[in-house]
Amino acid sequence: MGQTQNDPPQLPDELIENLIRSLEHTHEQECTCDEVFAVVDQYAEAEIHGDDVARLMPLIKQHMELCHNCCEEYEALLDILEKSNPS
Amino acid sequence: MNTRTNESWLDELRSPGPVREVALDDLHAIVQKGLPYALSRWLSPEDPLFTPLVEEVTQETLLRVLDQLDTFEGRSMFTTWVHKIAIRIALTELRRKRWQDSSLDELVDDEENPAPERLMADPQASPETNAERADMLARIRRILEEELTDKQRQALVLLGLQNLPMEEAARSMKTNRNALYKLLHDARLRLKRRLAAEDLNAQEVLSAFEGR
Ligand SMILES: [Zn+2]
Repeated sequence: MGQTQNDPPQLPDELIENLIRSLEHTHEQECTCDEVFAVVDQYAEAEIHGDDVARLMPLIKQHMELCHNCCEEYEALLDILEKSNPS
Repeated sequence: MNTRTNESWLDELRSPGPVREVALDDLHAIVQKGLPYALSRWLSPEDPLFTPLVEEVTQETLLRVLDQLDTFEGRSMFTTWVHKIAIRIALTELRRKRWQDSSLDELVDDEENPAPERLMADPQASPETNAERADMLARIRRILEEELTDKQRQALVLLGLQNLPMEEAARSMKTNRNALYKLLHDARLRLKRRLAAEDLNAQEVLSAFEGR
């Protein structure tokens, strides 16, 4: 609000710490949110069937560790699949 | 109710007239029944916003499903694909609402309590440790200044400092969530390569931050 576009606020320590922490999960090859969205239905069904999704779709798994938004959407989908078709 | 195969869903939703209406009604019921399971972590079913939100999202989902029917590749059950679309719509809306509410709260909080400089000085740590920590932080700040583009920095500030949801941050940068993810991936990669070039690993940096 007090900041202008030419005068970016200094990055706070906590943000830098989180950024450094995210490097452990950073890979040359990562899939994007769109790529995750394209297959997250298939991924969730595989998880429900008890497949080893980390081995079958490692890039998706990796993205979930970094991207809070995709992970939330995936968990919400699992909630629906588990609770609307209890087996 | 959900005894259709993927093919019958597609056929019926593409048929003109009453066949399509019946399929749409059934799909409406399926989305409406599923959504509350996804939303209950976000909003209490007793919340007055809950029912209208479910209805609004269900309507929007059906429109989007019809619009994107040709993009369904049959990798999952059709209804799972539909639920995924409903969740994207619902959570985008909820995140925006939550952020708007919390940014109002924060305006009040910030004036009362300035954020503590958490990492810079720990009163329990030795002066050497504090000096080491300050050195490391200064070094990392310099690296960030050299490596990050203005756009990457702007994205980090919007997401990490102002806590905007991805979609909102993307919108204010006139881009989209996917491109924003790529931008941040680039930033992380540059940083990771630079730390490697300087023989620093993330763990080492973090432990300096934590004063160990
Ligand atoms: Zn994502």
